[in-house]
Amino acid sequence: MKTEGKIGIFLCECGGKISNRIDLSQVSELLRYEPWEHLDAYPHPCLAPGLEAMRQEVKNKGLDRILVGGCSSRVMKKRFSSGLAEVGIEKHQVEMINLKDHVAAVHEASPQELARKAAALIAGGMASLKLLEPYEPVSLTFEGPALILGGGFSGFIAARELARQGMESLVFSKAETPERVLDELHWTFPGCRIFCGDLADLLREVFTHPRIKVMPDQPIDYIVGGVGDYHVGLKQPDGSVTEVAGAAIITALDREYGPGNIDYIGGGERVCDLLELEEKLGAGDISPGKMVFWVNSPQHGQAAQELAALAAWRDSLVLAREHPQVQPTVVYPANITLPLSGSDLREARAQGIGLLSYAPEVHPVVQSGFLSFVSPGDNLEHEVEWDTLVVPGAPAEPVEKAQELLRWLPIYPENGGGRLQKSNIKFWPDQIPDESLFFTGSAGGVCDLNEVIQQGKKAARGVLHLREKALQGRLVSPVVVHVDKDLCEGCGLCTEICPCGGIEHVKPGSGPVARETDNHLCSGGGTCAATCPHEAIKVLNNSTQQLEARLKAILGRMQEDEILGFVCGWGGLASAEQAAVKGLTYPRGIYLTPVNCLGSLDPFILSMAFLNGVKGIMLAGCTPKHSCHYHYGVDHCWYRVNAMKKLLSLAGLERRRIAIGYVEVNEPESFVRMVESQMDTLDKLPPLPQDDKTKARLWAIHATLHRPRVRWVLGTSLRRPAEKEFPGSQFNAVEADETMLDVLKEEFLAARIIKALSEQPLNPPGIARAMDEPVKNISPLLPDMAHEGRIALKGWEGGYPIYALGKA
Amino acid sequence: MIDFTINSQAVQGQEGWTILEVARWNGIDIPTLCHHGALEPYGACRLCVVEVDEGRRSRVVISCMYPIKKGIKVQTSTPRVDNVRRWIVQLLLDESPASPHIQELAKTFGVTPSRFKKEGVDFACHLCGLCVRACQEVVGIQALTFGNRGLRKEITAPYHQRSMDCICCGSCLYVCPTGAMEKLFPQVSAP
Repeated sequence: MKTEGKIGIFLCECGGKISNRIDLSQVSELLRYEPWEHLDAYPHPCLAPGLEAMRQEVKNKGLDRILVGGCSSRVMKKRFSSGLAEVGIEKHQVEMINLKDHVAAVHEASPQELARKAAALIAGGMASLKLLEPYEPVSLTFEGPALILGGGFSGFIAARELARQGMESLVFSKAETPERVLDELHWTFPGCRIFCGDLADLLREVFTHPRIKVMPDQPIDYIVGGVGDYHVGLKQPDGSVTEVAGAAIITALDREYGPGNIDYIGGGERVCDLLELEEKLGAGDISPGKMVFWVNSPQHGQAAQELAALAAWRDSLVLAREHPQVQPTVVYPANITLPLSGSDLREARAQGIGLLSYAPEVHPVVQSGFLSFVSPGDNLEHEVEWDTLVVPGAPAEPVEKAQELLRWLPIYPENGGGRLQKSNIKFWPDQIPDESLFFTGSAGGVCDLNEVIQQGKKAARGVLHLREKALQGRLVSPVVVHVDKDLCEGCGLCTEICPCGGIEHVKPGSGPVARETDNHLCSGGGTCAATCPHEAIKVLNNSTQQLEARLKAILGRMQEDEILGFVCGWGGLASAEQAAVKGLTYPRGIYLTPVNCLGSLDPFILSMAFLNGVKGIMLAGCTPKHSCHYHYGVDHCWYRVNAMKKLLSLAGLERRRIAIGYVEVNEPESFVRMVESQMDTLDKLPPLPQDDKTKARLWAIHATLHRPRVRWVLGTSLRRPAEKEFPGSQFNAVEADETMLDVLKEEFLAARIIKALSEQPLNPPGIARAMDEPVKNISPLLPDMAHEGRIALKGWEGGYPIYALGKA
Repeated sequence: MIDFTINSQAVQGQEGWTILEVARWNGIDIPTLCHHGALEPYGACRLCVVEVDEGRRSRVVISCMYPIKKGIKVQTSTPRVDNVRRWIVQLLLDESPASPHIQELAKTFGVTPSRFKKEGVDFACHLCGLCVRACQEVVGIQALTFGNRGLRKEITAPYHQRSMDCICCGSCLYVCPTGAMEKLFPQVSAP
């Protein structure tokens, strides 16, 4: 990447859609003193002639930063980055300012006024582009076996696929022989006895293959490292830990089934669940007569019912073939789709297996020897005779093994329930290099053995794809997040809050060591960077410093009654642009800045904006929990906004100068209402006072939000509307909030003392006078601050200590 | 460079460019519906028709996909072209009478709703395919597809189920020219 920083600005007329509303020559005029190499307006830069003209300018003037003032970067950026790739422009070197949807289409104002707003936004984009850094993708090695953890059946399939393609793997399994695996299979996949022949062949291949090592399941002590180089510590019975290394991890976890609830049915030996039946089948101990499989338990959900019906059908087939003295019948609810094909149904008729559906509205009633149910066909109650009644087992909660893995891998229980999900962060597909987090098995959702086998194969294909790329030297990880080793104190907060596994874990007990990042898993959400107490993390080429520069440039061109708006790249940005598509309008006094996620907004960005004189701020993000693309990003932001409100009121300013709102992708009307409401609120407030006293206080707010202690408290706090637990020793919401307020009060006061001392050395009454605060409020803090070395005791005068900045 | 004329104005372009691209670059407006700068041309709406004289006889072709050739004479507004466009706009207007973009087109061409106008539908999907193409070409996934054929052709998610591939980015909403996607979005986007 060339780094001279020659910026070319290409303004789009969009066939009049922009040029009729914004005076583009006025925009050029307003940007006259900015350091660009090229600035011009084009009818349609996005079409082939426009791209050709841009390429010519890049070649002729040696441009290495491109700023397009046109429409949505979500939709159009790919066009420009691919069109300019042949002249050496990379994706991150292209910046788009959405003049059409953020300025031209949504405001009713004269072209000259809109030109001023457009110029401000473009100046902001230029300031951000100037801080681009050269960017070297890191080549990764991919050596060693695949580690297959969790003991799920899909692990064996994955191992076989890998072995066939010449890759080694280590499988950790509870069962140590193929026979044991099959004996225990019905605990996870009931009704699969019918496949035992094929599965036995498969397992024999796995257990005897030279490239596969099946190891007994051992408790996991730690998983560290990243894609291409994982290290897993295994606890041994004697307390020691052995480490195995591998290139990739496949997590194969299956959901186990527990005994079905048959207590309420009674019937002793004649009533059993599917698991018991399978054990009896294994032992060959089947009593003759009519056997009825009754798919009950709607509480487990339709998917589980379908699987139970399928299991019942398969067991019926086994019974019909091996135990002709048994007449099986499957009774299933009519609201599920029986996953059987036409040939299955023909076979059922041929073997005399009954398939009966019941209306799910009326729960069937068990009698001694009969089961009565309502048929959905004629609404009449029918009876089916039974000698043995079989009900499905109950799906159990994730096993202990799963809990062990969740600690180290980005896999989460969905909504705190039984279903496990890998990090479900949703981002543009081109933002992640390759699938590199492999999670398979029925713990991710009730599914059949066939599907689990497909998942295992798919995971193996994914691993092989990574290996293939590594062999060709193409396995590079784009450096997304960079941790500054000198600043990092190894507190581990980033690892705790990272939802995507992008920040690597460290071994337990290894103390405060600087974190590494796994850029293959990183989503670039940026919550870690905004949270880091020591500001050691940087999202490369999307850094807080760039955002700060952008905002300063915009703020310098804003008027005193105008406000800043932050929109997250998903709900907020999409709805803001949708407002333009739908032809809605809103006041032009709001300057929108898109960020990836509101969670990536560093708290000091907010204070910086106020310090630079903005009247108010509005933030629009996705609805928490429901649709935030970065798990808890918007909840982290909520706490920062909350802290900002507290600090504003401590400084004697109005809390309502800053407000956060939530909006969905297709709710432009809500976005417009949010903007109008916040603008109304701020219209009633005076502009931010520009006197020295307010400025000193805003400076103190800004300094407070740079303090590691405050940032730590903010980072560990996360709005948890649904949870009942709070971090640390706090027990309820009010207490947690008051702790935060106490920390903010103290640090705010300390920052004000430093501000007062920055002018001249002072004694306590002098400091109090400068701060306009009673002496008794500040005097307890001064010795502590001197002790910490934040201020220095310079001497005594008239019985009072004299404090100053710097060393004692 | 390929030299030719649009509305008797001498213009030039490069191999592979289309008439529409050259016309727009030279500030000559041709109405479109299914064309978007971010996407490859598709030729669904036929609104961008122009009359091309290649020497022997003139033909009405769609400008968004017609590659430029040396010496052709392009007319963007002739009675023949206008007639075709008016009919297309008429049919579009009858399908989605409330869509602002379509209304704007109707105003330009002096078209009013006819007796065939659809009742009870304000924003109809015209199957221009912009959303499907945006999902594939821009986002790079296939959360949206065409379902069925002929009269029953529709925009849907694969298997008529809310797509798990969908990343809820709203690109389909952004490119939709009629506003029909807004109604469809809850049925196709990721749950």
